[in-house]
Amino acid sequence: MSQTFEPKILAFLCNWCAYAGADLAGVSRFQYPPTIRVIRTMCSGRVDPSHVVEGLKSGFDGVFVFG
Amino acid sequence: MHVVSQLLEMSGIGRDRMQLRWVSAAEGQIFADFVKELSALMGEMGAFDPDEYKLKLAAVEGALNSPRLRWLLGMDRQLTERENVYHQKVDDKLYRQLLDEATQEEYQKSLILEVLRDGPQSVREIAEKSGLEIYAVSQLLSDIERAGLVDLHGYEGTTPKFIRLAA
Amino acid sequence: MNEKKASQPVTGAVMVVGGGIAGVQSALDLAESGYFVYLVENSSAIGGVMAQLDKTFPTNDCSMCILSPKLVEGGRHLNVRLMTLCDVESLEGEAGNFTVTVNERPRYISMEKCIACGVCAEKCPKKVEDTFDERLGPRKSAYVKYPQAVPLKYAIEAESCIYFKNGKCRACEKFCPAGAVEFDQKPQTHTIQVGSVILAPGFKAFSPEVYDTYGFGKYPNVITSMQFERILSASGPYEGHLVRPSDKTEPKKIAWLQCVGSRDIHHGAHGYCSGVCCMYAIKEAVIAKEHSKKGLDTAIFFMDMRTYGKDFERYYNRAKDETGVRFIRSRIHSVANDPQTNDLTLEYVDESGQIQSEVFDMVVLSIGLEISDEMKKMAEKIGVKLDMDGFAETSAFQPVATSRDGVYVCGAFSGPKDIPYSVMEASAAAAASAVLLSSARGSLTQEKTYPAEEDVEKEEPRVGVFVCHCGINIGSVVDVPSVKEYARSLPNVAFVAENLFSCSQDTQQVIRDAIKEHRLNRVVVAACTPRTHEPLFQETIREAGLNRYLFELANIRDQDSWVHQAEPEKATAKAKDLVRMAVAKVALLEPIERLRVDLNQDGLVIGGGMAGMSAALNLADQGFKIYLVEEKPHLGGHALKVHKSWKGEDVSAFVKGMVERVENHPRIEVIKNTKVKDVSGFVGQFKTSLQSNGASRELDHGVAIIATGAHSLAPDLYLYGQNDRVSRWHDLEKMFEEDPKKLDEAEAVAFIQCVGSREPERPYCSKICCTSSVQQALELKARKPDLDVYVLYRDMRTYGGREDLYKKAREQGVLFIRFAQEEKPQVEAVKEGTREKLQITVRDHILGRPIKINVDYLNLATALIPKGQEEIAKFFKVPLSDDGFFLEAHMKLRPVDFATDGVFIAGLAHYPKPIEESIAQAQAAAARAASVLAKPYVEVEPVVSLVDQDLCIGCGLCEASCPFGAIRLHKVVGRGYRAETIAASCKGCGVCSAACPKKAIDMMHFRDRQICAAIRAGGARQ
Repeated sequence: MSQTFEPKILAFLCNWCAYAGADLAGVSRFQYPPTIRVIRTMCSGRVDPSHVVEGLKSGFDGVFVFG
Repeated sequence: MHVVSQLLEMSGIGRDRMQLRWVSAAEGQIFADFVKELSALMGEMGAFDPDEYKLKLAAVEGALNSPRLRWLLGMDRQLTERENVYHQKVDDKLYRQLLDEATQEEYQKSLILEVLRDGPQSVREIAEKSGLEIYAVSQLLSDIERAGLVDLHGYEGTTPKFIRLAA
Repeated sequence: MNEKKASQPVTGAVMVVGGGIAGVQSALDLAESGYFVYLVENSSAIGGVMAQLDKTFPTNDCSMCILSPKLVEGGRHLNVRLMTLCDVESLEGEAGNFTVTVNERPRYISMEKCIACGVCAEKCPKKVEDTFDERLGPRKSAYVKYPQAVPLKYAIEAESCIYFKNGKCRACEKFCPAGAVEFDQKPQTHTIQVGSVILAPGFKAFSPEVYDTYGFGKYPNVITSMQFERILSASGPYEGHLVRPSDKTEPKKIAWLQCVGSRDIHHGAHGYCSGVCCMYAIKEAVIAKEHSKKGLDTAIFFMDMRTYGKDFERYYNRAKDETGVRFIRSRIHSVANDPQTNDLTLEYVDESGQIQSEVFDMVVLSIGLEISDEMKKMAEKIGVKLDMDGFAETSAFQPVATSRDGVYVCGAFSGPKDIPYSVMEASAAAAASAVLLSSARGSLTQEKTYPAEEDVEKEEPRVGVFVCHCGINIGSVVDVPSVKEYARSLPNVAFVAENLFSCSQDTQQVIRDAIKEHRLNRVVVAACTPRTHEPLFQETIREAGLNRYLFELANIRDQDSWVHQAEPEKATAKAKDLVRMAVAKVALLEPIERLRVDLNQDGLVIGGGMAGMSAALNLADQGFKIYLVEEKPHLGGHALKVHKSWKGEDVSAFVKGMVERVENHPRIEVIKNTKVKDVSGFVGQFKTSLQSNGASRELDHGVAIIATGAHSLAPDLYLYGQNDRVSRWHDLEKMFEEDPKKLDEAEAVAFIQCVGSREPERPYCSKICCTSSVQQALELKARKPDLDVYVLYRDMRTYGGREDLYKKAREQGVLFIRFAQEEKPQVEAVKEGTREKLQITVRDHILGRPIKINVDYLNLATALIPKGQEEIAKFFKVPLSDDGFFLEAHMKLRPVDFATDGVFIAGLAHYPKPIEESIAQAQAAAARAASVLAKPYVEVEPVVSLVDQDLCIGCGLCEASCPFGAIRLHKVVGRGYRAETIAASCKGCGVCSAACPKKAIDMMHFRDRQICAAIRAGGARQ
C-alpha cells in the first residue's frame, strides 16, 4: 500500500475527444495513476447530473467528466 | 454540471469530488497530467464513505430530479440565447443567480423530504437531522406542504409532526 | 462524356491517387455513392499534411481530432481498398475504362499479422530523423508514421535499416510477438481496371535552404512553419511544449516571415501566392501565445495580409486587437544569428520609412506550397498537363477536370489552397467521376450478407468474456489468466477465454464458434480501444447471428496496461473492474435494429445561378430528377454580368451554353419566377411549397441544395448614386462597351477596393474584388495603353495564381495606392477646364502625404452581401453565420454540408467566391447529395434518442436544444404535443436527454439504466 490514499474515481469520457485523448496517452505510454474507471459516452452532453451522484453512491471517491 | 458542483458543496460532500475538464483527441499528455493532478487532489481529500453521506446524497439526487431545477436547466439556452415568452432575453448573470437560488432551495426541500422518510417528525427534529436552521425548515415545510408533498400528521403534545406524502 | 456512356460499358471503380484529406474525401464520397475505390498512397499511411498540423484555422480545431474519424472510416470502408507504399506507374485506356499499373514497395511487416504493439520500433537500434516531425526529432528505422496512422501498421524503412545494409541485426524480427516481420517481401506490381482517376497528391512544402540569407539549416532557431506545427503539437517532438530547438528554452519573442518561396521570382522561389500562409501564420502566433505561460511577443512580417476566406478577416482582427499579435508590413531580406545565444536579429524598414532592428528568440519561415519533381513525373506518366507553375491545368468551368479525359484533380495539386477548398474539390472530383461512370454505379461495390439474427431478447443473458493478451502488450502487465478467472465469477457469465490476439482472423472464428457452442447471447472482449476495434468485433458477432449491439469492449490496453506499466497488480485490479463494468452493461444491452427510412430520390436546387445550375446539371447527369427553382424570370444569376474568368476564359458564352443545357435537360425541371414558401419534413422526405404569381405547388424531394447567391452592396459612399461617373463592379466595363467613345475620351480611371467590406459592420473580405479590379485595370490598359489607371486598395488579395495578374498590372503601369481603413480616400466632383472630373484625395503611404488625382471615372468594388437568407434558413432549420451567410456543418471538413442531414450549400450564399470555386462547391454539394440519393432509403445509425411518450409533456425544450434539428414536436390527438426523434437526423449525442425536464428521453445503447449498471459495477469492491 502506498503512503497516500489512492482514490477510486469514475471517469466519463466523450468518444471523439477525451476518450481518443486517453487512448493517445496509452499509445504514447504516458503513465498515470491507476485510479480511474472509464465510462464512454458518445458526447459529454449525455452525462446526466444524476450519474455523478450515482457514482458517489456506488463507492467511488470522486467523478471526472472529460469533455 | 455547475449545479452538481453547487449541490456537492452545499451537502458538505465537497465540490472537488467532481471535476470537469476538456481534453482533445491529440492531448494524450494533458489527459495523463489531469489524471495525475486530480487523483492527487482526491487522494488528499481521502476516501468517500457513501453511507456517511447517504442522506445528503439522496437529497442531492432529489434536488437534481426536481422538476424546477430540470426546467431551469433545460431552459438555459432558450432563456439566455433566445428569449422568454415575454420576448425578453435573460441576462446570463441573472440566470446564474436564479439557478443558484433554486439549487439551494431545492436541495434543502429535498433534504427535508429525505429526513421525513424515517416517519413523522417535528420541525425541531427535522432541523437537527438536516442541519438546517429551524426557521428555514418551517419556511420550506410550508412550501412543500403547499406542493402536496408533506402534510401535518398530528400533534405530539403541542408539537406538530409532519409526514411525507410523496413516494 | 455522356454519349460515350450510352454506347460503351464503363468500369464502376475509381482510383484516387493520394491519401491526404482530399483523397480520403473523394474516396469516401465515391464509395458511399456506389463506386469501388482504390486509394493509392505513396507513404506507409494515409492522412497527408493535415495529420501533421496542430490546429486548423479559423476555428482552432485540433487537426487530428477532426481528421481521424475520416481516416478510420476510409480505412475500414468495405468499398475502399487502401494501397499504401504504392506509386502509379502508368495509365492506359480511355475515360470510362482505364488500366492502371501500380508499383507497391515492400513494407517488410505483414499487414495481416502486425498488431501495432510497437515492439519492433522499441527494439530497433537504428535512429533516423523523423520526417513526420519535420526532422526535429528521431524515430526508428522500424516505425509507424504517427500514432493515429491508418492503417495502424508498422513498416521498416529499407534505406536506413541495419539489416539491409550489413545483413545483420533483425532485432525487430526476434522480438515481434506476432511474427509479422517479413524481410523477404519483394516489390509487387498491380494491374487495376478503373473507370476514372482522381489525382490528389497534394503539395510539397517549399524548402527554404535556397534563401541563404535566412540561414535555415545553419541557424538552429530559424525553422519552417511546418516545423512550428510539430512543435506546437501535443504529439510532436517536444510534446507540445513551446521551446526553441537550440537550447530547449521557452522563447519570449517569435517572428514570422511571410512569402518565403512565394510572390518572389528569384531564389528558385515562385511568383504565385501560396494562399494559405497568412492565415496559418496568424493561427500559429495565436496558438503560440496560448501555449506560452510567461507572455510571448509575436510579430508577423508581411506584404499584404491575405485573409480572404470565410471568417478569416475576423480571425485576423481578433489576433491583432485582442490577442496582441503584432503585424508589421515589411518584407525581411536577411536574418542575423548571434553564435553565442542563437538569438536572431531582423532589420526592417517600418511604415514610416525608419530602419528598425529587433532581436527574436525564434524565426518562423512561412513557407509556401509547391509541386515536387516526383509529382511532376507522375503527372507526366499519367499524361496530364501542368501549368507554368507546375500545378495541374484546369479551367474555371471545369475546375476538377485535367487535360486528360476521365482524369480529375483536387486539392493543392491544381493550385495552392486551404483544407476546406481542397475538401470541396475532392467532393467535386467525386461528382465528376460519378457522372462519367453513372451507368456502372453499384456494379463493383459489395454489400455484405449476414445470417438471420437470433431473437435473444427473452433469453436470460449468457455473456462470453474474451480477455486478450495482445501479445505482451496486455499480458506483460495485467495478469490475464486471473482476469479471466475473475470474469468467470461474475453474474451472467457463461463462458470465458483468453486470446493471444483477439483481433486476428483466427480468433474471430474462435469467438463465432464459442457463441454457437455455448449459446452466448452477449459478448465482452477485454482488449484495446473500441474506437478502432469495436466495429471488427461487432461484425464478428453479427456473422455469428447476434445483433451487433450486444457487444462491449473493455479497454484494458490503451487505458490500462500501457499507462500503468509499473503497477501490474493495480493494473490487474483495474482490468477486473473494467471487465465487471462491461459485463454489467452488456447484460442490459438490447438488440437494436439498423433503421432504414424511405427516401425520395428527387432533388431540389434553390437558385438558378452558376452554382445552382452546376449542381442541378451534375445530379441530373448522374441520373437523378432535379427541380431547379429560381426567383427571377431567367437563369444565370451573377455570372451574366461577368465577361471573363481571371484566367481569361469567356464566361458569357459558357453561361449561355449552360442555361441551354439546363433548360433542355430531360431530368431537370426549371421552375422560374418562383419562391419557396415553406418546407417541412427531413432527409429523404422533404415537402416544399412553392409560390409563383399566386399559384402554389408542392414538391416532394429527398435532398435540397441551397444556392441562392448574394448581392453587391449599393453604397452611400464616394458619390455613388450621386454622380454618374461613379459605378460599381462590372458597370464600368458595360458602359465602355456600350459607348466606346467614353473610353476614347477618358484620360484616367480609378478603382477603389473594400467598399463596405472589411468594415466594422461587415468584418469580412469579399474575396473576389481585388482580382476583378486588377483584371479590369489590365483590360483597360490593353485597350488604351495611355489611360492612367489607379487602384486604391488596403491589402492586395490576388491569392494563388492570381498574383500573376497583379504582377502584370504593375508591369503595365497600373498605379496601386494603398490606403488605411481609417484614412479613406475623399472623392469630389471638380471641373478641369470644361471637363467634368472626379478628384480623389488619398494619403500616399510611401510619400506619407496626401495626393490628389483627377479621374474621369471611378469604379467601386463593393461588398458582396447576403440577402433574404433568413427565410430559407428558417425553413430548413439551418444556421447563418454572424455575417449572414449560410453556416456549414464544419468550416474545415464539411464545407458543403449542414448539420441538418440532406441539406447542402453552394456558391455565394455560403461566402463570396470566384466562378471556379462556386462550380467546384456546387459539384461538391451534388456529390454529397448523390451519396444520400444513391440508395432508395436512408440508413441510420440506431444509437439515437428515444422519447417516452407517456412521460413527455410536449414542452419542446429538446427541440430547442438539439443541434441537428433531429427532435421535434408532433401533434397527438387528445394529448397536445409530444416530442419525437427524427432518427434519420439524430447523431445520438444525448443533449436532449440531459435537457428534458421530465427525464422522458433516453439514448439507445447508452440507456440510463445501462450506464448506471456500469457505474454501480465499477464502484463495487472486488
